[in-house]
Amino acid sequence: MTDKDTGTGLLEAAPSPSQPPLRAGRRFDVKNLGEVLALIGLIAAFAALNPATFLSPENLRTILDHASLPLIIGVGATLVILTGSIDLSVEGVMGAAGMTFVLLTANSRGSADFGPWAIVAGLAVGVGLGLLSGLVHTRLKVPSFIVTLGVWFVGLGIATVLFGDQSIPFLPDGGIKAWPSTLTFGLPNSFLLAAAFVLAGMFVARFTRLGRFAYAIGDSEEISRGNGIPVLRYKLYVFIVAGGCSAAAGVLAALKLGAGSATVGVGTLFLTIAAVVIGGTSLGGGKGGILRTAIGVLMLTVLNNGLILSGVSPNIQSAVSGTVLIAAVLVATWPHRSRLRIVK
Amino acid sequence: MSKKALLEQPAALPAAADGKTKSARRRPRNLWFTVGPFAVFLALFALVAILRPAFLTGGGMAILAVQAATILLVALGQAMVLHVGSIDLSNAAIVIFAAIILAQTLGPLGGIAPIVTLALVTVIGAANGFLVAFGQIPSFALTLGTLGILQAASLVISNATTVYATANNQLLAPLFGTALAGLPMAFWVGVVLAVGLWAFLRFTRAGEGMTAVGLNETGALFSGLRTRWFKVVAFALSGLLAGVAGILVIAQAGAASSFGLGSDLLLPGIAAAIVGGTAITGGITNPINIVFGALTVALVPIGAAAVGITPQAQSLVYGLVIIAAVALTMGRGHNEVVK
Repeated sequence: MTDKDTGTGLLEAAPSPSQPPLRAGRRFDVKNLGEVLALIGLIAAFAALNPATFLSPENLRTILDHASLPLIIGVGATLVILTGSIDLSVEGVMGAAGMTFVLLTANSRGSADFGPWAIVAGLAVGVGLGLLSGLVHTRLKVPSFIVTLGVWFVGLGIATVLFGDQSIPFLPDGGIKAWPSTLTFGLPNSFLLAAAFVLAGMFVARFTRLGRFAYAIGDSEEISRGNGIPVLRYKLYVFIVAGGCSAAAGVLAALKLGAGSATVGVGTLFLTIAAVVIGGTSLGGGKGGILRTAIGVLMLTVLNNGLILSGVSPNIQSAVSGTVLIAAVLVATWPHRSRLRIVK
Repeated sequence: MSKKALLEQPAALPAAADGKTKSARRRPRNLWFTVGPFAVFLALFALVAILRPAFLTGGGMAILAVQAATILLVALGQAMVLHVGSIDLSNAAIVIFAAIILAQTLGPLGGIAPIVTLALVTVIGAANGFLVAFGQIPSFALTLGTLGILQAASLVISNATTVYATANNQLLAPLFGTALAGLPMAFWVGVVLAVGLWAFLRFTRAGEGMTAVGLNETGALFSGLRTRWFKVVAFALSGLLAGVAGILVIAQAGAASSFGLGSDLLLPGIAAAIVGGTAITGGITNPINIVFGALTVALVPIGAAAVGITPQAQSLVYGLVIIAAVALTMGRGHNEVVK
């Protein structure tokens, strides 16, 4: 044991004097390009397997359209995971926000029509649920895992109560329902919206107090507190942002579906968290980024799409995503292995 | 629990007051940790019984025990993993996988089928633990991955349909067919296993080692404990208990499918473990309290229906009760970092 430890210690210590000169070019480090290379490799492999279909503009638009929901959620989820917490409430918040939006806009039930205010109301529901998660987590000191688990059910419950026992509320044809799939500059609007979220999220993470503090809190909450960061307040903000992102995804999902449904978000939690982890954001917090998550989302979406085109049974899709997730984490953490490393 | 108190004392009471005040200050919290889950269950049960007295006389307790049995087993397995500071997101998928395997093998293999199933899922659990401990993959990410793999495996071996146990069903019938003190045998199996796990954590070297890993893994490692193997043991136990839950699913329904009975046990299982006073950070677990955690979690939907809350509002009530119950029963220090 001691031999090996001294060995790794020496190996790790040696390159450190040469670190500072490398810093300028660290963004172009091969290690950071791993996920991008994997994405390019996947695209190349599926393009070779399905030359006629995979790279067609229609299919690329489908991929980007499918990626839009997890991309939007990924922004909030990454911020929460960067602080070292986790947000499991995604699917519940999507359902609640989506149902609120559908019932307050023009729909077949004729419940109300507030036009664009319906979107605001939907987002407000998400922000409210994010606020609830954040308050219970920071004030009552309940672990975020459990709080957001509870809020998942609360959101799902709100959506189910709103759905009630009446007929399914459909959105009218044309108009706002067609917006997500309408093309602008050759790209579906849903993806452009998601791209806007990702860019805004990257800006927040890199240049604002919220983002920088999120990294700091995730790195060490005690040191952050010692340095005067209002840790609890910023954690609360992060949960509110995550609730807002989930709500935006819920509204978009309702638009895509063209109807109100409590279960509009089913499956997105697994996909998003897997994407965050595959992208290289550490579940322990403090390391990672939103662009990484976006690459993770694209990897999983390309993989699912490519497998369907290659004729792989949809039954084993979750196994493929799961295997990729494990492999990605194993490869990413292999260099850090040590007998004294603590992994929870 | 008492270990936690011991570890906390130097930090919490730096100017060490005499032993008398120490115990006086400690006792209420320790007492609450011990009886909290039971008290929360009792309060909720009393509330339901007062609002709907028929719940007591109409066999409500038996229905509750049937619902709680599978949740209890999943929660016990989850608690073992939480005890070493990890989490197992795949154990509910193991329940379904075990149930499908058992449904397919019960006819041809008869009495050996449950043993084969249990052995198989224990190996799956141990594989999870092995990858966490020796592959050094965070358990959340790893078990999220194996969750996907197991779901796919269940779909493939069942051809995405319902698999019926066609023969030898009588072997498993006593689990729900016979009752002891008005509660089905399946529930008592869970209770016996809970007591067994309590004794395991309390009196065996492996159990105490797991507690040490959960409380302070670095400390345990430097004390020369085989911390990696304790993690493998914890995950193997989680797989084994999920397998027992799978057997209960077949005993109860006689059939299994990826979307049928038992497919939504992950979250109730985690909730039951936490409501039972298990610390998500590890090292503090009382398997006997998890019995009450499972009963509480099972009571919420049944009680809500009995009281007359509309079915639509049930998951809303469920979420709120879980948050409140955890906030009441969980242990927390003053300067502890909560993630």
